[in-house]
Amino acid sequence: MSNQEKIKSWEKLLDAGIKVTEHNQAEDVKKYPLRKEFRPVAPDIAKASLKRDFEVGLVYYVGDDVEQDRALCGLDRKPPTAHVFKEALEKKRKILEEAGIMGTLGFEKDKGKFKY
Amino acid sequence: MRMGTKTNTKSSSTKYGYFLGCVMPAKMPWAEKATFLVSKHLGLDFDYLKESLCCVRPGVWKAINPDWWLTLTSQNLANAEKQNVVIVDSCNGCYISHYECLQELKEDPEKLEMVNRNLEKAGMKLALKTDVKHFLQVLYEDVGIARIKKAVVNPLNIRIMRHIGCHARKHDERFPNYFDEILKATGVEIVDTPYDKTCCGLLLYFSDPNSSIFHRIGAKMQTAKELNIDAYALICSGCYDQFERAVKIYKEEKGIVFETPIVHFSELLALAFGYKPEDFGMMYCRPIPPTKLIQKLKEGK
Repeated sequence: MSNQEKIKSWEKLLDAGIKVTEHNQAEDVKKYPLRKEFRPVAPDIAKASLKRDFEVGLVYYVGDDVEQDRALCGLDRKPPTAHVFKEALEKKRKILEEAGIMGTLGFEKDKGKFKY
Repeated sequence: MRMGTKTNTKSSSTKYGYFLGCVMPAKMPWAEKATFLVSKHLGLDFDYLKESLCCVRPGVWKAINPDWWLTLTSQNLANAEKQNVVIVDSCNGCYISHYECLQELKEDPEKLEMVNRNLEKAGMKLALKTDVKHFLQVLYEDVGIARIKKAVVNPLNIRIMRHIGCHARKHDERFPNYFDEILKATGVEIVDTPYDKTCCGLLLYFSDPNSSIFHRIGAKMQTAKELNIDAYALICSGCYDQFERAVKIYKEEKGIVFETPIVHFSELLALAFGYKPEDFGMMYCRPIPPTKLIQKLKEGK
């Protein structure tokens, strides 16, 4: 395609009343361009398990029902993981916060939810 | 109470720290108990890796940020170093996370420095003095198949399908061969199917739940149903989580009920070593009660 043809095409778009620099954007984004969507660091589908990571240190909680099952199988009611060793969880939280991981992921620990 | 003869010979002076992970303590207490019965029976210096946290699953953390995955996984490695134990994983996901993290840090001093800068914030340090082993490796390489065969006093006359899981194929066919050989030592008949190497679909679940359940794990469970086998044996807790999820979803969404019990490799070993199902709570807290399997084992048919 020659430059001349490109210009013609461009002119045709203008003739048709179409703004060539315009992208297909939502009305809100056009009105408030700085509020345009962005991709959060953590995908939505992973957030529930990440939240448990921050709160328990592991993916699953150990509640009364699990404790009962464990006892039936002849085990201690709570496993010797961060479920019992709270210091281990505190260390993990310290790393998550001070290495900037929690902040970048947008997790608000006081509210227990992600900012975005 | 248990049947059979106890074997108390130490296999080596290695101290093993069993890494429970997230799924096993919450959903598979029978597997946790059976693993300890088997390990002690074989004379291993086997205890929990205490203070453990999520491995952390690379499918999520490494995908988000590889440096974060290295940092958080290193907390478990540093714990193992402090406790002077070799980490033992039976969940393939935990194994791959610990193993690859350790390898990467051994090969990249700059990453190790970065990890230690982060660990230091919690008063921890990693010197790369620990080792990571799969439970299959401990049994086959450290204990040996001859000693395992010798410990079998109650050969299991049952037909099973088995699922080794993708991450156990990291070292080609090494771990799958260990898995099969040890299973055969218990006396079970392994039924081969075209779906044996199919992924359980756990990680696919994050992006496409429908295919993950109905085209991956579903194909395996349907095959088990059609072949009328006695049990589906696995070793990976991550895969078990997916099996359990599939059983529930199939029942709710399709009205299909699976009756093939999903059992852990250690449970079969414990039974073959002479332990009774009640010694490790085999009948409790599982989506498919292994009632028929237990009955068959008791009758010895």
